[in-house]
Amino acid sequence: MNSRIKITVLAILAFLCILPAEMKASGSGEEGKVNVKEIMFHHLGDGYGWEVPFSHVYRIPLPVIVRAEDGKWITFSSSRLTKMEEVADDATGKTETEAVPQIVEIEKDGKTYRFVLAHVSSHANKLVEIFPADTESDKTRLAAAQSDSTLSGEYGVDRVVDGYVLFDGKYYREYRPLDISITKNVLALFITVIIVTAMVMSVVRWYARKGLKAPRKGMGFMEMLIDFIYTGVIKSTLKDKSKKFAPFLLTCFFFILVMNLVGLIVIFPGGANLTGNISITLVLAVLVFIVTNVTSTKHYWKEIFWPDVPLFLKFPLPIMQFIEIFGIFTKPAALCVRLFANMMGGHMIVITLTLLIFIFAAFGDMAAKGSVVVSLLFSIFMLALDVLVSFIQAYVFTLLATLFISMSQEDGHHESKHEEVKHEQLPSEDTEVSIPATK
Amino acid sequence: MELFTPELGLVFWMFIAFAILFIVLWKWGWPVILKNMDERADTIDKGVEYAKEAKAQLDSARADAQKYIDEARKQQAEMLRDAAKMKSQIIEEAKKEASEEAKKVMDAAKVSIEQSRKEAELQFRNEVSKFSLDIAEKMVRNNLQSDKAQSELVNKLLDEIENN
Repeated sequence: MNSRIKITVLAILAFLCILPAEMKASGSGEEGKVNVKEIMFHHLGDGYGWEVPFSHVYRIPLPVIVRAEDGKWITFSSSRLTKMEEVADDATGKTETEAVPQIVEIEKDGKTYRFVLAHVSSHANKLVEIFPADTESDKTRLAAAQSDSTLSGEYGVDRVVDGYVLFDGKYYREYRPLDISITKNVLALFITVIIVTAMVMSVVRWYARKGLKAPRKGMGFMEMLIDFIYTGVIKSTLKDKSKKFAPFLLTCFFFILVMNLVGLIVIFPGGANLTGNISITLVLAVLVFIVTNVTSTKHYWKEIFWPDVPLFLKFPLPIMQFIEIFGIFTKPAALCVRLFANMMGGHMIVITLTLLIFIFAAFGDMAAKGSVVVSLLFSIFMLALDVLVSFIQAYVFTLLATLFISMSQEDGHHESKHEEVKHEQLPSEDTEVSIPATK
Repeated sequence: MELFTPELGLVFWMFIAFAILFIVLWKWGWPVILKNMDERADTIDKGVEYAKEAKAQLDSARADAQKYIDEARKQQAEMLRDAAKMKSQIIEEAKKEASEEAKKVMDAAKVSIEQSRKEAELQFRNEVSKFSLDIAEKMVRNNLQSDKAQSELVNKLLDEIENN
């Protein structure tokens, strides 16, 4: 069994060794100059369409929903944002099909709205509404930008002028509309919601059908996770209040966990970098902030506005109050940034490792082949590590959210409770460390 | 920097997605699961408790049975001993009774022998006295054939009585 796996891995590696050479043959001189930053941001960011697996050209069209400058809501398919074009390659003379951005013209109530996917603009990769830059003020500002040598790039090629978008060598006045399109990330969110619901409901269905029989296989794993979070984190910290907060915290945990894991799958149903997107983690953190502060006790607010410290620290200069109020916001902010940075970092490393192949390909065949093996091994290792990180980050988020909530639930009768909470923080960090060891 | 700026559209959809998920799971998911998990844990605890109790009961029952068996054995031995004792006692008693009975019979025999001897003696005396009277009568008849002899005798007898 073991040797069979080894042979398979070697076969895959051998096959992949040939790939860059093939690519180089079919590619061009320009291909050697890989725009690492652009590829990375493309993979980390959002998109109006979702790439069809194994194709860079075709996208799954998604609805675009925007509110134009005059307040009208406009919807159209994201497939209209690009058009297929045969692009001739100068170096090899071959033609390739490529998706090229185009101006979308929408007729509504006798008015024409024009949108384009911005590239050279302060809203790069976002949809903007464009208007011809033909008023006097537009002309003077563009002229000023043209002559301003402090701006980077070349005018009419890649110079970004604030408030204007460059398309086909021409500057248009741009307006960033209110954009609630169903983007790649939004669709991935809904897929995640469906997966989590299915996972949880399958356990519920088991109970409905089999009563108190012990769950098997997948059910058992789900129940183990639920029990791990509920008993290990929520119950041990929140004690008798755990029933009240368990639904929120468990939902958080499973939502984050599934988003993390789905993000690691490279092709269609996955691949959206959800938890590595600050919008997502921001919403989660805001929700924790709301839950923490809305359900908090009097004692919690007393601790903030009149803490148990020597008088000179809180009067006449409210030093402690300032720190405590600052703390209300920094706690969820830390949650937001921690999850975001960890997940984005993981994705970034995997993409960078993969891109190394194309960077090294410029140095010749041998370098390309060698880098394929090294990059692939490292990528696999990083992805495996990311699976672990996905779990740990979901766990840590839930753990910290539970701690923040429990801090706001103190009723002041037991002064020792605060210390208890601090004690509990230690073993949980141990668990976090011990997970890789058990792996 | 675009990675670090939250996007309104995504924030909006994220709120909606989370709200939907939370409401669905809060209504139909978590309470059922947590309740059932608690219930099952309780059932298992109860089962373990019950098994422990049953084992204790079984052990005590076994001990009881052993105790009863031991007691029965003891009783049996005692009974055997008693029986043996009773047997010897009965034999003893029977022997005693038999000897007593034999003595009684012998005594009775002795008495009857004595009695019959006495009877025989009496009979013999009677016979003897009868014979002697007969003899005396015959003799007296011969002697007292005259009135003179008769009155002599009567006088003699009267003298005797007077002397007495």
